[in-house]
Amino acid sequence: MEKKGPRKTFHHSTVSRKDFMKMMGLGSAGLGAAAMGLMPEMNFADLDDMKSSKYSDRNLPFWVKEVDEPTVEIDWDMMEIFPGMQNTMFNPMVFGLEDAQASNKKYMAKVLGDINNKTPGYSIQDHALNAASCYGWQDGIFQAPWTGPLHPPADLTGFEHPSAYATPEEMGVPKYEGTPEENSKMLRVAGRVMGAADMGFVKLDERTKKLLYGNIVFKDVEEGYSDPEKHINVLPNKDLWVICSVIPQSLTMGQYTDKMSWAGANAFAYSRANIYASRIKMFLQGLGYQQYGSNTADVGRAVGFGVMAGLAEYCRATIMVSPMFGTSFRTVMLTVTDLPLAVTKPIDAGIMKFCRVCKKCAEECPSGAINMDTEPSWPDWEPGEKPHFARGIKGWFLDPKKCLSNMFSGEPDCSRCQVVCPFNKYDSAVMHDLIKLSISAAPALDGAIRKLDDAFGYGKQKGDHLWDKDPWDVPLFGLDSSRS
Amino acid sequence: MRLISWTWFWYMLIGFLLGGGVVYLWSYLKDKAEKLVWYEWVLFILAGLTFVMLGQTFIASLKEGEIQAAWMSVVFLGVPIIIMMVGSMRSLLSRTSKG
Repeated sequence: MEKKGPRKTFHHSTVSRKDFMKMMGLGSAGLGAAAMGLMPEMNFADLDDMKSSKYSDRNLPFWVKEVDEPTVEIDWDMMEIFPGMQNTMFNPMVFGLEDAQASNKKYMAKVLGDINNKTPGYSIQDHALNAASCYGWQDGIFQAPWTGPLHPPADLTGFEHPSAYATPEEMGVPKYEGTPEENSKMLRVAGRVMGAADMGFVKLDERTKKLLYGNIVFKDVEEGYSDPEKHINVLPNKDLWVICSVIPQSLTMGQYTDKMSWAGANAFAYSRANIYASRIKMFLQGLGYQQYGSNTADVGRAVGFGVMAGLAEYCRATIMVSPMFGTSFRTVMLTVTDLPLAVTKPIDAGIMKFCRVCKKCAEECPSGAINMDTEPSWPDWEPGEKPHFARGIKGWFLDPKKCLSNMFSGEPDCSRCQVVCPFNKYDSAVMHDLIKLSISAAPALDGAIRKLDDAFGYGKQKGDHLWDKDPWDVPLFGLDSSRS
Repeated sequence: MRLISWTWFWYMLIGFLLGGGVVYLWSYLKDKAEKLVWYEWVLFILAGLTFVMLGQTFIASLKEGEIQAAWMSVVFLGVPIIIMMVGSMRSLLSRTSKG
């Protein structure tokens, strides 16, 4: 029998950094009083009350600057329209049917072998959990059609929640009206309640329309629609905004457990994204506004919109890094609406500069798919030559075949590049904020910070088994800390 | 929801250690009828702040499950604390022993 050492238990507390500082000054009695004093601020009488709360503003950390252009260089003349999710690098058919079938065969052999051989971290319960995490994303009723979630017709005479699916028009009441600033604030509050860690808003103009997928067309119609026969989704020619919502991903599952649950961290977030998307669309419909898109695959480029909305900066691993959430989020859920919104600007927290010297994701990538060049570069391929990339930015581009081949060798949704990113931390230690401040204000220290990140042991595979954890140590929904 | 958390205890312990140190220093100075010079004040205050930072980083790192980070913080913040404390204490003791 395998000898086990004493189980590590980490005591999670409700004492935050702020509480700690108060405790140092006021003692434990002061802490209790302060905690009780904070509670009433969290009680909201209605939505207007929530909107006026200090929690509804985005309030970026002071070292994060809002900038007119994102830190990744963009050539909007070069910018190509990406055809759609059928071309994504995560669709193995991009590499041809034969390759896809071979990968699938290899994958299943690995999965069955691991289960039969009782390989730690790949047990039947790990796979069952992974299957559960996919419901709502891969299949299920949560995937909203282009024009809104499927739901029973509103029954205003019904017994329970009779107005649940009714529009203001159906109820005979005026639709919601507010200034763009009020609308943004309201959405930010509603988004947090429904599962968005952060939100940004992009107005669709001649530039940002290029970030929509290629099967989206604009027509002079009152309302958009989907035409499955022509494989197009139609948006009306009018002022439209894209609501960009950060869907958090479990850092506990991704960083602190064995590999199979990394996949769960990833897929659970996608599933929550679809559930969230249906809900935000129901919310917009309930306000009396149009809403389009909203499953993870049918609006446009998540990274492109996320960067333009100032939710994060573009990074070496060809994804995004948020100054608050690191890479601990799975996608930027996109919803198109005609509700007027105050746009958010791109941000500069020194992240893309840090990526130049850090390279930790590239060094740790098990397939060597991530670019190791210090400087980002403009695409050196012709239009259409690499179907899974649309040109337009000066960046680092990973090798999708290497990345996907590793995943199909039995490491589904590997996520190692996300897990090791130095921005990916819990928010308990004050030191993390000081490091982020330094990255923003003193890029000369970036190299030293990367070395310290290694020396302090961050990003190492902890290898704990999810099933051995004290259930109280597993955060609700697998999410972690106050910010997510 | 954890019914019993000991995190508060460690933070209280830091407070007591820091408070105890301040009381000890104050009584020592009173006994010797001595006053701190400006750079001793600076060193003691910086050492105290660094001690608070060390305590918070250590406890928070354990809470985060980062054991190596917790102990590395002891090295990276503990050494400056020792240097500052030794410097200020040597300066203080050299004056009080002369007296």
